[in-house]
Amino acid sequence: MSEDNVVLRTEKISKRFGSLVALEDVSLDLRGGEITALIGDNGAGKSTFVKIISGVYRPSEGHIYFEGRKVVLRSAAEARRLGIETVHQDLGLVNSMSIARNFFLGLEVSNGPFLDIRRMESETFRMLSEIGLVNIRNIGQDVSRLSGGERQAISIGRALAFQKRMLILDEPTSALSVKETEKVFEYIRAAKQKGLAIVVVMHNLAQVRAIADRFVVFWHGKKTADTYNKGQSEAELSEAVLYGTPL
Amino acid sequence: MPGASKEERSVKAAQKGLEQNGVPTRQLISHNWLWPSLVRTREIGIAVAGFLLFVLFTIFSHGQFLSLRNWTVIATSAAELGIVSVGVALLMIGGDFDLSVGANFGFSGVIMALMIAHGYPGVLALLACLAIGAGIGLVNGLVTIVFSIPSFITTLGTWLLFTGINLIIQGGETISILKYSNVLHILGGSLYGDFTWGAVWWLFTALIIGILLHRTAFGNWVFAIGGNKMAAREAGVPVTYARIMNFVICGITASLAGAITLGNLQSMQVGYGSTYQLESIAASVVGGCALTGGVGSILGAVIGTVILSMLDSGLLLSGASPYWYEALVGVIVILAVAMHTKIGHFGRGREEV
Repeated sequence: MSEDNVVLRTEKISKRFGSLVALEDVSLDLRGGEITALIGDNGAGKSTFVKIISGVYRPSEGHIYFEGRKVVLRSAAEARRLGIETVHQDLGLVNSMSIARNFFLGLEVSNGPFLDIRRMESETFRMLSEIGLVNIRNIGQDVSRLSGGERQAISIGRALAFQKRMLILDEPTSALSVKETEKVFEYIRAAKQKGLAIVVVMHNLAQVRAIADRFVVFWHGKKTADTYNKGQSEAELSEAVLYGTPL
Repeated sequence: MPGASKEERSVKAAQKGLEQNGVPTRQLISHNWLWPSLVRTREIGIAVAGFLLFVLFTIFSHGQFLSLRNWTVIATSAAELGIVSVGVALLMIGGDFDLSVGANFGFSGVIMALMIAHGYPGVLALLACLAIGAGIGLVNGLVTIVFSIPSFITTLGTWLLFTGINLIIQGGETISILKYSNVLHILGGSLYGDFTWGAVWWLFTALIIGILLHRTAFGNWVFAIGGNKMAAREAGVPVTYARIMNFVICGITASLAGAITLGNLQSMQVGYGSTYQLESIAASVVGGCALTGGVGSILGAVIGTVILSMLDSGLLLSGASPYWYEALVGVIVILAVAMHTKIGHFGRGREEV
């Protein structure tokens, strides 16, 4: 573990698309056991930043350090291999497959040439109960029968099970009811307890206040505020998002 | 708990903790690990439909349908379509199609027949036949993936291409093998009375591909690719490799069926197997494979083939015109898909067929 428990550090990251500057000189430390919310209006640069740290885009300038080592993330798959798990809005689950088969997709457990489904099911069950998803009736059922919150739980549980170091959640609650959102927050907090560095991208500022330990505001491609959650009001956050004022 | 693994102990501990908090956990882990529950529901549905057909034909044929002899005929005549359908089902579950199986069947079978007729050893001819099947599958897979063409279109093209090449080589004449060949006997000759080796090969192929699909990591990838290709790719599944393998396996099963037909009839003709591309899709769909991919089973494809074969012999024994066969297959395909869709709605609240 590197100093201050920093899992990922970006140093003066910029991204240009032709003449458009999408991101300029963003330096940020993301620490384990901390939930960092990236906030900002559409086009402020937070999605570009997330795409860079999840390996989808490569920065035009600047460096990325993962657990103290300088890294170049050439693809999303490479970021995953390092331990950076991104949960997209579409969740990356296969509806027609069982929970356990989804959970272990691409990392199947085999016993000789055959799948060890019994062990996959028991491991899935153990990980899901560890993050607090307890009322799934049957671990062998198809993912399509689950609610949006339960599906988020599977994606988050998957990051925990495979010892990921960082979890990036893109709008994890945008399609959920209030009650389900609360449940998903519980799962995210459970992942935080496990020491993962967590990045959430959310539009809903009330929800951001409820879940984040730290706010990072993007405004016109720059980082304009980076501060801990000291109970700032929704109005203050909203002003920072709209006008780039410090928090 | 002596002998229990670390995971088992922690699962027990987790269950105990949940139960203390009033959460019932007895049903949490199903251990229905042979098939996912929905697949079983589909198969039971289609098996019941098959049984109804069985009862109907038994009544209309005054019991003849029930005879061992009739079932020997069904098993023998279904074997070739059955083997083709097993490969086609695997491919469909992975989200692809192969319309070239009938042409592949005829082309690789004709080459094998020509080789034997020209005095090449049977084993070599068989290996060449299977290699041609695998090659056609590989071409289908590569063209589909490299040019991002829907496999339906690629294989429509290769269907016509290989039928044409076959006609150029053979001109539509029948090649008859007059001398006895051990290899041909073991492929399609008599095992006991009317019961031929073909049915054994069908069972064997279904078992191997069934295990591959339902009990290995590769099979998990196939279901994932058919169900949600993006998700499979994001999860690190080697999508291109798995799709090409599926095409190759499907090509091999089609050519194996061609070899078995040659063994059974001791003759081969370009047109043999020309109805199989659509019949194999029909058998797979009747057995519960979704046209959209991601859903189905090898057992389903086997049951689907048995149902089509039952129709064939049942009509004959009931004294109906065999011309009704195609019309009834059409009706059964539509009824089966409607049934699977309803089961899908009932089970998961969304359409999958």
